[in-house]
Amino acid sequence: MNASRRAFLQKVAALSVARYATPLAVSLAAMGEAAASTASDYKALVCVFLYGGNDYGNTLVPYDASRYTLYQGMRPTLAYERAALMPTVLTPSVALPDAIQYALAPELARFLPIFSAGRMAVMLNVGTLVEPTSKAQYTAKSVTLPPKLFSHNDQQSVWQSSSPEGASSGWGGRIGDLFEAGNGNATFTCVNVSGNAVFLSGHTAVQYQVSPSGPVPLRAIDNPLFGSAACSAALQTIVTAPSQHLFEDEYSRVMSRSLTAGRSLTTALAQAPPLTTVFPADNELATQLQLVANMISTATQVGAKRQVFLVSLGGFDNHDELATVHPGLLSTVADAIGAFHDATLELGVADRITTFTASDFGRTLTGNDGSDHGWGSMHFVIGGAVNGGRYYGTAPIVANDGPDDVGQGRLLPSTSVDQYAATLGRWFGVSDTDLLTVLPNLSSWNESQRVLGFV
Amino acid sequence: MLANVNFPVLVEGPSEDAACQSWPAAFGTVLASATLSACGGGGSAAPPPAPDGLTEADAARFLSQASMGADRVGIARVQALGYAGWLDEQFELPSSASRWDWLIANGYADISNRNTQAGFDRVAWQKLIASPDTLRQRITLALSEIFVTAIAGLSGPWKQFAGASYLDLLEEGAFGSHRELIQRISLSLPMGRYLTYRGSAKENPASGALPDENYARELMQLFTIGLVELKLDATLKLTGNRTTDTYGQDDITGLARVFTGWDQDFAGADATTPDYVQRPMIQLPRRYETGAKTFLGTTIPAGTDALQGLTLALDAITTHPNVAPFFSRQLIQRLVTSNPSPAYVERVATVFNDDGKGARGNLRAVVRALLLDDEARSATVAASLEFGKLREPMLRLTAWARAFRVVSPSGNWNVGNTSDAGTALAQSPLRSPSVFNFFRPGYVPPNSPIALAALEAPEFQIANESSVVGYINFMQRAVAGLLGDLTPDYSGLLTLADDAGALLAELNLVLAANQISASSLATLTTAVQGIPSGTASSRRNRVNAALLMVLATPGFIVQK
Repeated sequence: MNASRRAFLQKVAALSVARYATPLAVSLAAMGEAAASTASDYKALVCVFLYGGNDYGNTLVPYDASRYTLYQGMRPTLAYERAALMPTVLTPSVALPDAIQYALAPELARFLPIFSAGRMAVMLNVGTLVEPTSKAQYTAKSVTLPPKLFSHNDQQSVWQSSSPEGASSGWGGRIGDLFEAGNGNATFTCVNVSGNAVFLSGHTAVQYQVSPSGPVPLRAIDNPLFGSAACSAALQTIVTAPSQHLFEDEYSRVMSRSLTAGRSLTTALAQAPPLTTVFPADNELATQLQLVANMISTATQVGAKRQVFLVSLGGFDNHDELATVHPGLLSTVADAIGAFHDATLELGVADRITTFTASDFGRTLTGNDGSDHGWGSMHFVIGGAVNGGRYYGTAPIVANDGPDDVGQGRLLPSTSVDQYAATLGRWFGVSDTDLLTVLPNLSSWNESQRVLGFV
Repeated sequence: MLANVNFPVLVEGPSEDAACQSWPAAFGTVLASATLSACGGGGSAAPPPAPDGLTEADAARFLSQASMGADRVGIARVQALGYAGWLDEQFELPSSASRWDWLIANGYADISNRNTQAGFDRVAWQKLIASPDTLRQRITLALSEIFVTAIAGLSGPWKQFAGASYLDLLEEGAFGSHRELIQRISLSLPMGRYLTYRGSAKENPASGALPDENYARELMQLFTIGLVELKLDATLKLTGNRTTDTYGQDDITGLARVFTGWDQDFAGADATTPDYVQRPMIQLPRRYETGAKTFLGTTIPAGTDALQGLTLALDAITTHPNVAPFFSRQLIQRLVTSNPSPAYVERVATVFNDDGKGARGNLRAVVRALLLDDEARSATVAASLEFGKLREPMLRLTAWARAFRVVSPSGNWNVGNTSDAGTALAQSPLRSPSVFNFFRPGYVPPNSPIALAALEAPEFQIANESSVVGYINFMQRAVAGLLGDLTPDYSGLLTLADDAGALLAELNLVLAANQISASSLATLTTAVQGIPSGTASSRRNRVNAALLMVLATPGFIVQK
């Protein structure tokens, strides 16, 4: 056996020991003690990922007369009527230059009072960048560009992790790495309520993937298997048994984590106070956010002081039928986030929860029946700690191959995801030094530009 | 159309009640009428001499890679014919009735089904579980996870027929020419709907809008050449230490011009019957971009006829040197192992490029080379602690169903949509959440021994805290005969049930090709021995419990 192989097996052994050292029934009391010795506050970041690439043009719509005309001219079959936008025109506390005005899509009306109350900020033209990039530099290819621009899976990954598909950790997970030791039960540091995303994997932090209805109990263990308690016990043994085969071992690691975490979370959630906030029915994003609200309300019972959540909604890849499909998606988003924000107010933790949107990329502004893959986009940050009621970043010029787009209204981002993430991370408690490791491209920006101040 | 790009989302359906704790009394009578050949001996009878001298376990292992699931008949057949002989027999087996014809025969063309998906899951599962051409079904399933569409994204009427015709198309091409398959896929209305180029119009000079780029991009990125240049063994072709992109945005914009003007063919009729869904798309000349189209170093001159232009474009793409390694490696991953050696990929890709008779993209030759390769067949390789793949959940269900010759007495095959992670399989035929399939070929589970070893494990992308439990809960219903009216034949197992060791040995062979560890087997045997024996109901409990535990064991779940 060669040295690297031996070292590798030792690492595997270490992983296995870590797994089995944890008794299956985790003591909630013990976790509470562990938590009490760490930070006394609580904060959560909630990423709302809009899979498929949200159409920025019909999300935050140019409203002042001259820019509306340009917008309408580039997508005559997709554009909102200007009159329909009047009720959702945003009135920021800090006006944009040149009398630029935007309106929210009418379906985002639920955001309007949150913006007016100063608890929602609008981030203009944010996207993936490796370093500050001008149109001239883009054209001359004289700077490093993000890899695999305009590709769904890769740009999802770059947004979430700074690297294309194949990345092993994301910035949510890397933030989790810094805080999991302070949580009574590290399992609940990074929680994904919508499947699997690299965003929440850290170097040590493991994303806990939970169903929107909470942990799924294993019936064959919780009840005698076809009448046999001995078989239930045997089942538990074999499904969690370590194996020398790497794939078998990883599968049983997932199963062990599921059973252990599921029991403690189920116990905690059973004590969650019923919320009077009504979450909209038939809204899969709201269902996910409702579980997040319930987990936040019982965070102390699982010893969690810092949590990063991810929820998501798919369906945004509207190459076709954008005018019929996209408005419904926006309603789903606004209704879900609005209800979640209400729930954080009800729980008295609104200033400890910061929710933000993200997506693969923006889209083209030109379009017939739909729009194509783009780059920079508009995003929202919501929470009691947000310095809201205003825009951050720079409003892009509405054009086809103008100074702020790389053709077809594909926005060249003027703010990077790293700056957006750094702002969220610093609020969460990440030091400026640690931000540079969490966000490897951040050092390309001047120190004074790294954090944007929206929260 | 609805967007096709998002990661799998866990959505809980209504919870099933825990009604599977006891066995329905009426069920035994159904079992008595079914038969299972060659099972009574529990594997103790010596097999007949075989061309390859194959053991029962060899045959079962081969079938785990080459079929929808092993059973006693299949094991004996592989032993009798040898690997190559069995493949030849399977290649020549006629197809069973098409999904399309099944939907018609079962009344789903009635206008009341026009805006539903009714019938789709039934016919999809019926094929996977019961069609005798088990190799063709396995390849069809694999192709549906490479050239991905999903029924929810087949926007428009008659989704069930669109999905059925797409799977039928893949099945018809499973042993045929890769080039021809790409042509048929590109002209199929289901793909036109799914990747939204049906109805795509030429450049609009007034607004500046360009043709829809969706298919142009995914055809290259996902279906044929991938993002970066590859060697024949599918490793990266490097210049210095840099990769070379296969295409840029300009290539996509250029290729998108080919996929304009295509639309559904009502053939003078209307949409009150689903017939048009099956017809290749036709041209609407007023939407077709007649100008020149430049991509991948190829230019299709202005004025080229639309079908000729599409054909030239696909010729250019499918002869790219990436196609053979890109496709071959993914097919190996779907059938045999997540981490084939570069040499194995190269051997298969070489056959892809030339089947020995000068033909390129002969899928029958590719399948044969892939399954008969020493890396697929070697017991030494199989014993490596890194070899194999996580069985995807659909194949776990079919492994059980095929092993015990499941039937649906009503003919309804009511398995349903099994996409829900918490209550079912986190996966269902032709129901990928996006064009990126249920999982990506290069997925690496983070913070895992697999990642430390720098290995890939695609199917782990849908193995999470919910789905690992949801799968066992779902299989508990299936095993107990509570999944629709799916009826397994346990007659062979019941004759072994009083001997727990024999029962588990039989399950280990047929389901897991004897790949469950001795220690796990001992644990299970002891547990089953604790269940009373000697009566029909106790034997049935032993069979149910033993089956569920085997189906839950990592030794079964990981195919080696």
